[in-house]
Amino acid sequence: MRILRLITTALALLAMPAMSRAQYVVTDTIMPQRIVVKGSQIGVTLLNNLDTYLSNYNHKGIGLNYSHETFRDARTGNYRWKYQRLFNATAGYATQGRNMQFTGLISQSWSGYHPFKITKGLTLLAGAQIQLEGGALYNPSNGNNPAAAKLRTALAATGMAIYHFPVRRSEWIARYQLDIPLMGATFAPEFGQSYYEIFGLGHAKGVVAFTHPGNNPSWRHMLSLDIPLKARQRSTTLRLSYIADLYQSRINDINCHIYRNTFAIGFARTILKVKKNNRLNDYSPY
Amino acid sequence: MTTMKRLLTYLTIPLALLTSCIGEEEFDNSCNGNFEALWQLIDEHYCFFAQAEEEFGLDWNAVHDKYKPIADTCRDELILFDMLGNMLGELRDGHVNLSSMFGTSYYWDWQLKEPMNFSDSIQRGYLGTDFKMTNGIKYNILPDSIGYVYVGSFSGGFNTNNLSLMLYNMRECKAIILDIRNNGGGKITAAEKLASIFIKEQIHYGYMQHKTGKGHNDFSAPEPLYLEPSEGARWLRSVVVLTNRGVYSAANHFVLIMRQLPHVAIIGDKTGGGSGMPLNSTLPNGWNVRLSACPTLDLDYRHTEFGIEPHIKVDITSEDWNNGRDTIIERAKALIFDYYSKKEEQEG
Repeated sequence: MRILRLITTALALLAMPAMSRAQYVVTDTIMPQRIVVKGSQIGVTLLNNLDTYLSNYNHKGIGLNYSHETFRDARTGNYRWKYQRLFNATAGYATQGRNMQFTGLISQSWSGYHPFKITKGLTLLAGAQIQLEGGALYNPSNGNNPAAAKLRTALAATGMAIYHFPVRRSEWIARYQLDIPLMGATFAPEFGQSYYEIFGLGHAKGVVAFTHPGNNPSWRHMLSLDIPLKARQRSTTLRLSYIADLYQSRINDINCHIYRNTFAIGFARTILKVKKNNRLNDYSPY
Repeated sequence: MTTMKRLLTYLTIPLALLTSCIGEEEFDNSCNGNFEALWQLIDEHYCFFAQAEEEFGLDWNAVHDKYKPIADTCRDELILFDMLGNMLGELRDGHVNLSSMFGTSYYWDWQLKEPMNFSDSIQRGYLGTDFKMTNGIKYNILPDSIGYVYVGSFSGGFNTNNLSLMLYNMRECKAIILDIRNNGGGKITAAEKLASIFIKEQIHYGYMQHKTGKGHNDFSAPEPLYLEPSEGARWLRSVVVLTNRGVYSAANHFVLIMRQLPHVAIIGDKTGGGSGMPLNSTLPNGWNVRLSACPTLDLDYRHTEFGIEPHIKVDITSEDWNNGRDTIIERAKALIFDYYSKKEEQEG
């Protein structure tokens, strides 16, 4: 009896590698681990800036915009969450009478979304976003206050609606995104404080302000349309976008708004990513 | 229904917050609009109302009433420019200007209504033709081993090496006459760099404030101003600084620092002042306005906007002027001789 048990155990041990291999060959279809959509766009931005630290009047002009978005399934939550990383850079030129103003702003946001499938074509997503933005408005004709530096971070609420709809034999995707900063911190000099005091003398006490919708009622709308370049194939799409980035603040009696309306064009690619340690070679039909 | 109402309220409040546009009261681009915009800009940002009221009885509301009828009838941009320039002149502040395509309005009375106390023709007799020059600083050695340095502006960018070389060339001198007459200012950092060669350790020389709101008396607490010694060569022997009413802005700031040093004497005329760091803004028609915004105070919290008194008041006499002799330089030389003869007597 003991010998029989030993033989059974030995056979079982010998059979283990074969059994584990058998688990691999349940199917020979490799499922992608993550679907990543990467899109880059360039656009033209219509600028409307006001910063009473520099001037009490709107400066209107035009700029160039570059944006890059990565949108993918997040590893957390068993891939039920979506993750978005969005980079945006704007360089522009605006005027008020004979006065010039240069705008340079770079921002990055990281968002996490939970999707809600509403209908076959419509998905709503809701989540949270961390925003980081830096740059400056620069008025060369101002002597000791030529620039208003912008450096801020915020925690924002974000929502998205994605709608897939057929056009002839292909599927187009319309997307709308809304980001609303809820709280954060920003660099904010006092009403008549010079940058010489802050950076030259180090009198920097109180130049960071807490922001909330009361003193920083801002939002960003993004509307995009992805059009497949080939029918029945969605891996590369032409992307047309309108972005309304409406930043506003009223801190230390300094009023500021930077309204950017951007019309952008670019491409987006869908990449199916397979885990590195799960390559095709590891699979065997036997 | 109640739940629905509550939900609508919760949605409406944040939407109302978000859809409210942040802007600024905009005046129209007319004569009257530009006048009102300038008057309000000064009213909210200018930093010396209290001092101007005390010094010469300025009433900014009365200024509005005085110029308003002109603004109401003005139809021409050139007339508007002159009128607004005159209105700014009521502040009697050389740091307040209006710039447009017609030029820049200035208030010059702080200098031109006072004795000149400087002549570059007379100065040439002292400086000679063999003077050295480094980034706008002219210097030479006078007879009796006295260094003479003329700094006519702080707009240039002299650096530590320039100043060290200058001191090296004057290493045999027993004292320096540092002439900053008619120096209308420039960069505060340049003034501080020059002052830093005359100290051996960090000094506290004054305070700075800025406006924290639109009220005439909305100011931050005075923050101390410190100066670190130069990393290059330093001069700790006697220095006589020559001043006149043309010493303004950053040059006034230089005198504020130097006046506190024990081995420095200030002689000549009171400085022109200009202790408010100016900031700029614009009018509806795009004209640029500069105004004093951040006042500097001395160690006793006194404003120096209307000038700093010298230790010894000296004017160039008419007789000396006619004879090509600079009374102030001569007084400085006498002061140095007197100091060293007394010192020699004490040392036996």
